[in-house]
Amino acid sequence: MNDQTMSAPLLHPSAPSPASDGGTLKMTARNVNVFYGAKQAIRDVSIDVTQENVTAFIGPSGCGKSTFLRTLNRMNDTVSSARVEGRITLDGEDIYAPDMDVVQLRARVGMVFQKPNPFPKSIYENVAYGPRIHGLASARADMDQIVEKSLRRAGLWDEVKDRLNDSGTALSGGQQQRLCIARAIAVDPEVILMDEPCSALDPIATAKIEELIHELRGRYAIVIVTHNMQQAARVSQRTAFFHLGTLVEYGDTSEIFTNPRETRTKDYITGRYG
Amino acid sequence: MNSATATAELRRPTDWKGSAMQNRIRRRYAAERRFKLLGLLSILVSAAFLAFLLVTMIGNGARGFTQTEIRLPVDFPRSSLMLDPAALAGFGADAALAGADIEGTTAAAADAAFGAGGARLLSDGAWLSVRDAIKRDPAILRGKAEIWVPAATAIDLAAKGNAAPAAEAAYGKLQKADVVRTGFNWTFLTRADSTDPTLVGIWGALKGSLVTMFVTLVLAFPVGVFAALYLEEYAPRNRWTDLIEVSINNLAAVPSIIFGLLGLAVFLNFMHLPRSAPLVGGLTLALMTMPVIVIAGRNAIKAVPPSIRDAALGIGASRVQVVFHHVLPLALPGILTGTIIGMARALGETAPLLMIGMRAFLASPPGGIMDPATVLPVQIFLWSDEVSRGFVEKTSAAIIVLLVFLLAMNGVAIYLRNRFERRW
Repeated sequence: MNDQTMSAPLLHPSAPSPASDGGTLKMTARNVNVFYGAKQAIRDVSIDVTQENVTAFIGPSGCGKSTFLRTLNRMNDTVSSARVEGRITLDGEDIYAPDMDVVQLRARVGMVFQKPNPFPKSIYENVAYGPRIHGLASARADMDQIVEKSLRRAGLWDEVKDRLNDSGTALSGGQQQRLCIARAIAVDPEVILMDEPCSALDPIATAKIEELIHELRGRYAIVIVTHNMQQAARVSQRTAFFHLGTLVEYGDTSEIFTNPRETRTKDYITGRYG
Repeated sequence: MNSATATAELRRPTDWKGSAMQNRIRRRYAAERRFKLLGLLSILVSAAFLAFLLVTMIGNGARGFTQTEIRLPVDFPRSSLMLDPAALAGFGADAALAGADIEGTTAAAADAAFGAGGARLLSDGAWLSVRDAIKRDPAILRGKAEIWVPAATAIDLAAKGNAAPAAEAAYGKLQKADVVRTGFNWTFLTRADSTDPTLVGIWGALKGSLVTMFVTLVLAFPVGVFAALYLEEYAPRNRWTDLIEVSINNLAAVPSIIFGLLGLAVFLNFMHLPRSAPLVGGLTLALMTMPVIVIAGRNAIKAVPPSIRDAALGIGASRVQVVFHHVLPLALPGILTGTIIGMARALGETAPLLMIGMRAFLASPPGGIMDPATVLPVQIFLWSDEVSRGFVEKTSAAIIVLLVFLLAMNGVAIYLRNRFERRW
């Protein structure tokens, strides 16, 4: 892919169908159930993810928010006992359809994990790996450009530009996580899923990631799972509250935090449990 | 909540200074000292064993690498040798040499030079040196020549200060005449087996081992690694994979002689491959080595953090890309370690190779994987069985060669492992 597509706002031509709440629908989930063997982890969840907004999933530990996040790019496929029911679409396409290519899906729906997990390779190779396997750059110069642009967008370029050949694992935790974000955006995804991206980071590194999320918003549809309610309030426009595998409440972040409809949401937000 | 505070109040405060507590602390330190002492002791014992092995082997074996030679004057024109230098120029030289009675000439020359019984001072193969000298330079046939030939075992042992008095005396006489020297025995490194200890060489067995190990590695490594990768990364977890896993673990524990019998039955009797060939030896040893590689490989692959797999899958790498770009390179150092353990075991293996006939007496090194061959441990086994005293030091020398081979193999593995670790 050339740079024009990299820098152009990532609206898919087939996508725009205005959602009820003002955003452009990017992903939808309808009546999703997830089972691990006989145990049901997610019950009947329906949710819309919009292009313009950062969507936060909050809820107590074990409520299924990470599980649900991983169904959005079929990372649960790697768990042999996991089974997903219901319909999840990306730009109207059913991602669990038999003809859906998982490899392409994961390139379009990127993921950042809880623990920073750079490859034990150089910083350059970490970012270049995705574009290389998808054949996004034909020449070395193209690749250099993609790497630089991705690192710039991840706010890491100035810190690492002189040591691109150093190992990615030699960076600090916060830098590693931004490297992982750079790696995810290097393949030019449409959606970025973040699974508690700051839980292993100190407050300063966390602030940098949150800033980064602000900057990436709009360019990519972002879904973030977080334990930290202040973080959800700071970075997201839409918040979904999960409890015991069900979606309790989903709405504008400001609504959820100031005026929750459900008592369970209110109890969780005010720190009664969780 | 309330009951917990209640029990806390009921309990007396811990007496950290009390005698019971002090005793407990003393016992704890004593246990630690004991443990450290035991560890140190085990290290010392193993180091002592290793030192003993090395000292005795090198002490005995070093002499096996030297050979005493005698300077033999030969007066060709006066000898009974009917050889025309011109006949040795072109083709037919070997035929002419084979037809000539060089052996008789050598014996006669020895008798002439060192008195009656002089021929007995020389090795049975001394005439081979004379033949080689003639072959190198046929011109010497026109006059007198002095040729260094290997001494008999008794003289050789006498030179190394380890022989019967009679031999000592003979050696003393030779020394006075200044016609003996003891030097590095190049023959030992370049020739194959022989019935005469002064003429034996290790090269035949060494080459046999090299070729056999090559066959083993080429077969066992890829099959073992792919089996490990499939079982870890692709195979579904069910009763069948459990069964396969148990079978592989059991296979690694099967005594090697049984693999030898298997090789005999399958490769020789059923497939009719050539007996004593490195190919069959390599196949048999590969069967034995593969389970070790599979087990080590699976452990190494299991040790690759799942987060790396997630990371690669998360940016859209396919399963094969995850395996070959990330898992395998990270697991390779561990796989190589396992491979080297398996190969070292295969290199030292004797029993299964005896079963497939790699114990034949072979006076020439193998030319390829289908030629009859023997290997180092079998050669050591055969020489240690010989009656002649000259073979004792040759056996030790062969053991040194085997150990050096092993060390070299380990060195290569360590080098490869470090290289792969540095790259990541």
